[in-house]
Amino acid sequence: MKIKSILIANRGEIAIRIIRTAQKMGIRSYVIKTAKEPNAWYLDEADEVIDFTESIDSNIPEFLDIERIIDHAKKHKVDAIHPGYGFLAENPDFARRCEEEKIIFIGPSPDAIYRMGHKTIAKELARKHTVPLLGGSKGAVADAEEARTIASEIGYPVILKAAAGGGGRGMRIVGKEKDIERMFNLATKEAEKAFNNPDVFIEKYVREPRHIEFQILADKHGNLVHLGERECSVQRKHQKLLEESPSPALDEELRSRMGTAALKIARSVNYYSAGTVEFLMDEDNNFYFMEMNTRIQVEHPVTEMVTGIDLIEQMIRIAEGKTLPFTQDEIKLNGWAIEWRINAEDVQSGFSPSLGTIEKISWPENEHIRVDTGVRDGSVITPYYDSMIAKLIIHAEDREKALQQSTIAIRKFWIKGTKTTLAFCRAVLQNRNFRKGRFNTSFIGKELKIFYQHEADEEMLAAFFAAYDYAREIHEHEDKPLYTEKGKEIAPWVLNKRLR
Amino acid sequence: MARVAKKKKSTRLIALSASNKAYEFRKPLEKRVKYQGKTVDIKLREAPHGFTYIVWKNKKYMLDVIEKNQNRYTIMINGVWHSFTVETPISLKRRRFLEKQRETSSTVAVEAPMPGKIVEILVEEGSEVKEGEPIIILEAMKMQNEIASHASGVVKSIGVKQNDVVMKDDLLIEIQKG
Repeated sequence: MKIKSILIANRGEIAIRIIRTAQKMGIRSYVIKTAKEPNAWYLDEADEVIDFTESIDSNIPEFLDIERIIDHAKKHKVDAIHPGYGFLAENPDFARRCEEEKIIFIGPSPDAIYRMGHKTIAKELARKHTVPLLGGSKGAVADAEEARTIASEIGYPVILKAAAGGGGRGMRIVGKEKDIERMFNLATKEAEKAFNNPDVFIEKYVREPRHIEFQILADKHGNLVHLGERECSVQRKHQKLLEESPSPALDEELRSRMGTAALKIARSVNYYSAGTVEFLMDEDNNFYFMEMNTRIQVEHPVTEMVTGIDLIEQMIRIAEGKTLPFTQDEIKLNGWAIEWRINAEDVQSGFSPSLGTIEKISWPENEHIRVDTGVRDGSVITPYYDSMIAKLIIHAEDREKALQQSTIAIRKFWIKGTKTTLAFCRAVLQNRNFRKGRFNTSFIGKELKIFYQHEADEEMLAAFFAAYDYAREIHEHEDKPLYTEKGKEIAPWVLNKRLR
Repeated sequence: MARVAKKKKSTRLIALSASNKAYEFRKPLEKRVKYQGKTVDIKLREAPHGFTYIVWKNKKYMLDVIEKNQNRYTIMINGVWHSFTVETPISLKRRRFLEKQRETSSTVAVEAPMPGKIVEILVEEGSEVKEGEPIIILEAMKMQNEIASHASGVVKSIGVKQNDVVMKDDLLIEIQKG
C-alpha cells in the first residue's frame, strides 16, 4: 500500500530528517506540538501540526503516550507512523497497537522489537544461530547476592545492564567485589525509572573493546542486506560522541564476516525495516554480539553518506511492502564519513547539560558538509529532552581528508548562547592516535588528556572582552550605583565599612 | 568603592582568571592593549549575522558573554569558556583581603554541579566522609550522577531532601573539614 501521510511521533532533528524524505516522496507529514517546546523548528517544517499542548489527565509524557498518539493518528486518518529514535521507537506495544488500528508502523514487527529488546531472548537467539557471545547471567539477576555469585563465577570486571535498556542508560561496570552491591542497586533503580522494568543482567566486561555496529536493511519478502559498519568507539559513559563509516579497524574480509553475523541475527526474528546490530570487538578482532537496535539510529547519516542510500526512504518503502531495490553486491562504500555530535554540554564541568537559548547558530556550507539539526536561532535547549544541538556530518574521499575537512568545519561552526561540545571535537581531532585510527572505547578516559582544545592567547582575549564589557557597562551606568545585593542598592559607606 | 567609581576614576581594569592570573588593561579599552610587554591591536567586530568576534593574528575568534553577575564574567571564546572577575585596583585589594579570611574557614560546601533531582542521599548528618566519596545521587538529563564530597570530614548539615529538585549551585551538603 502506498503511504500518503505519516505521523512522526518524535521531535527535533529526527522529525525534520523524516519530514525531508517525506517531502521528497510526496508524503504529507504530521507532527506533535507539546507545551515543552511550542516554538520548536520541526513544527514549522511539517505539513500539519497536532496540538498536544493542552494538559490532560494523563501524566505520561507526550511522545510516550501510546493511546493519545493512536487516537490522533486515527482522527487525522494518517496512513503510517514513524517513531524516529528513542521514545516509542522500540516499544513492541506501540507497534502492536498501530497494527491493531490498521496504521502502518514504519519499523519492524512487534515480535521482532520484543525479542530483540529483551536482551536475554536476543542472546538466546544469537547462541542458537552460532553468533559469538560473551559469558554472563542467563536472565535477569534476582538480587545483589545473586549478582555477587555470578560475578565471581565469570570474574571481574563485569557489566550490569538493564534488560530493557539501550543507549548506555542503566549500565554499570563493576571492577571489584566490594562495589557489586551498591552498583547493582543503582542499576536496578535506574532501570526501573528509565524503562519501567528493574530487570538487570550481568555480563563479562571486555576491557577496551571497540564498538562496531552494522546497519542492515530487510524487506518483508525475505531480502536482507547490510550497509557496512559504523565505528562508534569514541564514547563517554556509553554515550556516543562521534561515529564514522567505515571503521579504521575493519578490512573487507572482517566486514564480510561481521556483516554475515549481523544478517543471521536479523533473520532469526524475520526482521524487516532498518536495524542495527551492535558488536564489541577485542584487540584480536574477535567480535561478540551485544544487541540489536530495532530502529533508525542517531548516527545513520554516516551510512547514508558512504552508501548514497536514504535510509528513511527505504524504511518507508519497506513499510509499503516494496522489495529492496538492491542486492548485497550492489552496495558499495564510497569514501569516508564522520559524524560529530554537537551537544549543549559543558565539557569543562564533566559534560553537564548546558541549558538555555541558542541565540545564533551558523556553519559553513560545502560539498563535504551535511548538518542535521532541529535547532535554529532562538531555539531553546530544554531539560525535558536530550542535549543535542546538531550533528555535523563530513564526507570525503578518505579518512585523512575527512579529518581535514572536519577541522575546517568545526572551526567555522559557531554557536552563541550555550556551552557546546565543539571544543571537545577539536581535542579529539588533535589526538595522534585518533588521527591514526588507533582507539577503542577507553579512548576518552585514558587517551584523551584534555577534553577541550584551546589556543594560547584565548584566555587573554577572553579577559579583554570581560574587561571591555565591564567598562562599557560602567560607562552606561556612570551615575547609578554600581553595587547591589539581592536587588537592593548598597550605600557606598556600607561597602567602605565592610572593607575595613 | 564609590570614590573609585565616581571621583578618582581608576585608569586600570584587571580581569582575574579562575586560576588567579591577572590580565591588566588600561582604560579606555580600545583597540590597543599591552600584552606580554608589547602593545598590540585587538580588532573587535560585530558580524552582521549577530556574532561578536575578535581578529587576532589573522584568525577569527567567536566570543560571547555567557554569564554575567555584577563583576563576575564567563566568556566563551572559540567554544571554550573562561571565568573572570573584573576588578579595579582597589576592589582587587579588598578581594585579596576577603580571600585570606576565607582560607581559615573550616567548612566546605558541596553544591549541585547541574540542575536535577535528588534521587538518594547517601550520608547523614554526622557521617564521616572521605574526599571523592559519593554522597548524593542527582538525576539530570535522565542519568543518575554520583556527587562526590570534595573534602574529608564530617557532614555538618544536609540542605536537601530526597526528591527535591535543585538548581545548579544550590547547596547540597556542608562538610566540616577534619
